[in-house]
Amino acid sequence: MLYDISLRVAYAYDNPAESSRHIVRLSPADLPGEQRQVAGTLDVEPKPAEWRVHTDFFGNRNVELAYFDAHKKIKFSVQSRVERFEINRKLDAAPKLHQLISEIATIKSLAPWAPHHFVGPTSRVPIDRATTQYARDLIKDSFSVLDAVAAIGESLHSDFQYDPEATTVETPMLDAFHGRRGVCQDFSHIMIACLRGMGIPAGYVSGFLRTTPPPGKKRLEGADAMHAWVRVWCGSQIGWVEYDPTNATRAGPDHVIISRGRDYADVAPIKGVLRSHGKHTSTQKVDVIPVKQ
Amino acid sequence: MPSQTNAASKNTISRLLTGYRALEGIPDELMGPDGQIRPVWAGLIAALDEMSPTELTQRITRGEQYLRDAGVFYRRYGPQDSSERDWPLSAMPVLIDEEEWATISTGLTQRAELLEQVVADLYGNNALVANGHIPPSLVADNPEWLRPLVGIKPRSGHFLHFVAFDIGRGPQGQWWVLGDRTQAPSGAGFALENRIATSRIYSDIFTGSNVHRLAGFFRAFRDTLLGLRAEDESRIGILTPGPMNDTYYEHAYIARYLGLMLLEGEDLTVRDGRLMVRTVAGLRPISVLWRRLDAAWADPLELDEHSRLGTPGLLGAVRDGTITMVNSLGSGILETRAFLAFLPRISEALTGRSLAIPNVATWWCGQEAERNYVKANAARMTIGNAFATRLLFDHDDMATPKNSVASMVHGNMDEFIDRGAGHLVAQEVVTLSTTPAFKGDALEARPMSLRVFLARTESGWQVMPGGFARIGPAGNSSSLAMQSGGSAADVWIVSKKPVRTETMLELPSAPFVRQQQAVLPSRAADNLFWMGRYVERAENTIRMLRAFHLRLVETGSAETLLLKQVSEYLASIGADPAKGLPIGVVQTLSSATAAASHARDRFSLDGWLALDDLSKTVSKMEKTATPGDDMARAMSVLLRKLSGFSGLVHENMYRSMGWRFLSIGRSLERASSLVSLLAVFTDSDAVDGSLDLAVEVADSTMTHRQRYAVATNRSTIIDLLALDPLNPRSVIYQLNQISDHMAYLPGVEEHSQLSPLQSLILQTRTNLAVKLPETVDTETLNILGAEIAQLSNLLTAGYLR
Repeated sequence: MLYDISLRVAYAYDNPAESSRHIVRLSPADLPGEQRQVAGTLDVEPKPAEWRVHTDFFGNRNVELAYFDAHKKIKFSVQSRVERFEINRKLDAAPKLHQLISEIATIKSLAPWAPHHFVGPTSRVPIDRATTQYARDLIKDSFSVLDAVAAIGESLHSDFQYDPEATTVETPMLDAFHGRRGVCQDFSHIMIACLRGMGIPAGYVSGFLRTTPPPGKKRLEGADAMHAWVRVWCGSQIGWVEYDPTNATRAGPDHVIISRGRDYADVAPIKGVLRSHGKHTSTQKVDVIPVKQ
Repeated sequence: MPSQTNAASKNTISRLLTGYRALEGIPDELMGPDGQIRPVWAGLIAALDEMSPTELTQRITRGEQYLRDAGVFYRRYGPQDSSERDWPLSAMPVLIDEEEWATISTGLTQRAELLEQVVADLYGNNALVANGHIPPSLVADNPEWLRPLVGIKPRSGHFLHFVAFDIGRGPQGQWWVLGDRTQAPSGAGFALENRIATSRIYSDIFTGSNVHRLAGFFRAFRDTLLGLRAEDESRIGILTPGPMNDTYYEHAYIARYLGLMLLEGEDLTVRDGRLMVRTVAGLRPISVLWRRLDAAWADPLELDEHSRLGTPGLLGAVRDGTITMVNSLGSGILETRAFLAFLPRISEALTGRSLAIPNVATWWCGQEAERNYVKANAARMTIGNAFATRLLFDHDDMATPKNSVASMVHGNMDEFIDRGAGHLVAQEVVTLSTTPAFKGDALEARPMSLRVFLARTESGWQVMPGGFARIGPAGNSSSLAMQSGGSAADVWIVSKKPVRTETMLELPSAPFVRQQQAVLPSRAADNLFWMGRYVERAENTIRMLRAFHLRLVETGSAETLLLKQVSEYLASIGADPAKGLPIGVVQTLSSATAAASHARDRFSLDGWLALDDLSKTVSKMEKTATPGDDMARAMSVLLRKLSGFSGLVHENMYRSMGWRFLSIGRSLERASSLVSLLAVFTDSDAVDGSLDLAVEVADSTMTHRQRYAVATNRSTIIDLLALDPLNPRSVIYQLNQISDHMAYLPGVEEHSQLSPLQSLILQTRTNLAVKLPETVDTETLNILGAEIAQLSNLLTAGYLR
């Protein structure tokens, strides 16, 4: 699939920020075999005093911006043409849960893909008795990892309500879990907690969702803003598989990837530190339009 | 059963040692198993024996007095709050023979080198994980393994530059490493203070005791740091979390001792991948930072986002290789308790040698075989968090079979261990050797551990010949932490031959060159400026309060027109006099103390003590002082203390840039408060008695009497308190002062274009100087007040951000 993506994010501060520094992760990633960025731009207004780029531990492209003069707002706009490839993998080789857990123990690597990064608690995803118990009740011994992923994902989809008013980006995962509502970030964090509680390595993906569904299909939740979903390590043979708990579906050609990490904190689209006080407001507008070929 | 091994076997029975008992099966530093005093102690004990109890007490008092005068403190955290505590010195040093020390030094140097290899691998190739020497989850789940630092080679080529080891002597007399301190080890400064205090106590004895000096170690380390700089003229900074940290005193002390800049995260900013210090003279690059701040807090942008102590963008400078961190960010991972389980094998694997000084036996419960061993032997182990970086006996995150199994462990021990698995570590219960400490005027045996410091110099690791001994309570070897009531002692490494005396001062090999004035960080300037303002503000308020209460005594009622006016005026500046000492005064003085505490490295000790005394006095008065005579007297006491403080600052303080900001703060505040005083008390609506009160509050009654042959009238008051350039209590005098100071501020050059700040001070001064008393009306005063406020804003914008 080929998409034209446009994203506009605007921040407005009640009081001018004296200076600020941001890490921005808004542009689709270039991922050999999965996704190709054909062309893309990131524009920022006002013009930042510094503009630096580096690749983080998990391979994401981080744009670091800094302002040294007072400013009351910042506008980011992304224009990007991306090709997303369809991946056909033999998923019937997925290991059983206990096989997966013994396989993890044999992997002596700390490379960014290694499962060890994704099993323990992380800053936004504690491993809690409540989420672990929720997962355990859904899973039988005979399940393969993918069965477990589907069981948890579908259960979350039916037990939880998609509700943009219920939570904010700062809402702790457990609050959303107990409140049984939230948005893609909450669904993803809860699912990660459930999977890690069962010993299954799970990470967080931020990205875009196709705005209008293919003919005859339902419009997906979360398509009007930036989206997030989950990735699960299914053993060395299959590797990482992505799953969208907000829509209870495998992430596929409709999902365009920006960055990947352990939880939201690793991939937050815009992270900033300001010398300022007071509140800010932000707006976001996303379009992901298939290009006719 | 304790065995009585006192010194009775010697010919002279030492009074000090009559009750001295070592515990059975535990070595004692002072006495051998035969009950004889070890040779290294003989001289000191003999000297102590010759002292009368009175002399001994006097000597110990001398040492404690030094610590109090020096203001040595540490911060102790309680469940609700934290407070500064006096330093708990144990007056009896720990003595170690030079030859034994050489063995310890060799062993610890080997360990420091090993740790460097380990940390370089953890942030490099990860061969230790690949080869099975470290379990991957111990790294991946480790909060001290900082992913943004992976793959970055330190600018200096080394991760570790300054480390410490906690060591203790085990039952067989051998030394054990109890813990590795690689993040930001504290205690080196306290070791110095212990040394100074202890050598005061034993001044005559110390000189002839062949004790190795500490200064050489610090000089070598400082010279190494200087050699790491990118440019010769740049300074080296100590990065501190600030006054709320438990060892902030030490940070300020080391900064002063080694001539380093004491910096907080706020002082720093990053420009194009270079770390800069915000100074009153603009941004100045810095390339070496001795870090006393835990790495996680160092950069809120890429590390812990909740940090208010860090510098956003710092990691960019690290990635660009423009800054050397001592130690590298991320090296705290080596402190992880569970690593002690793997280091012995890692040493064999990487160097082919076993550890010369073993560490305390440790088992990580993430592996099945080890877990089973721990379950079978749990009764003689302490079990705690695998990722913790404290010593196992330091804190309450542990379960031991003896004390807390019932409360810590729900269900049985085996289940607890199985459930915790990779998050638990077990260590053999530590028994530590004992060392003498005073109990009254006799000695008793107390458990101890040593913190030993190592610095990387150009010629390799150097070990500080001495250190920091932590002394636990008698009969309890499981609690040595200062936080839980232990004490600290000096460590004497004793040679058989006389030792070289060393100081920090360099030998006069080159002609003397006066050093350039150090750059002043903006935050320090800001704090000094505000300290000047707050102290002056307190003084003005206190003078007004005294005037109020003196008149209240005379009239017996606060309902007179004049007192009502004063009362309203005081209320408008947050000091309603109705109920004794207003909270506003207490707050102003505590703001002054807070500002001073952030600039403690630039501030004389006596000044600090005077301010501290003032704060304490005022807190007491707040509870007790009653309106009228009592308050009037109390205010006189405060004024005397304030003038003592001001005298110290303005007579004794070096005329540094910092002093200028402090003085500008004081002058601005005085000018501003005089203007508002005059605006109210010389206004045409002011009630009878206002003029006399104004001249009294401005402390100019005497001068007025001498200068003018007439009684107070509006013109004489305005002339004296606004226009007379020779009266330090006049507005114009203070504006002149500010103007004089400004000539010394950075960026001010003769004949160059005036900055907005310079033009405003020039205008304000001139406008006022040309006035006559009749032309200074309330409106003029209000405009003047606004201009003075604007001066403060411009100064802040120009220098203090």
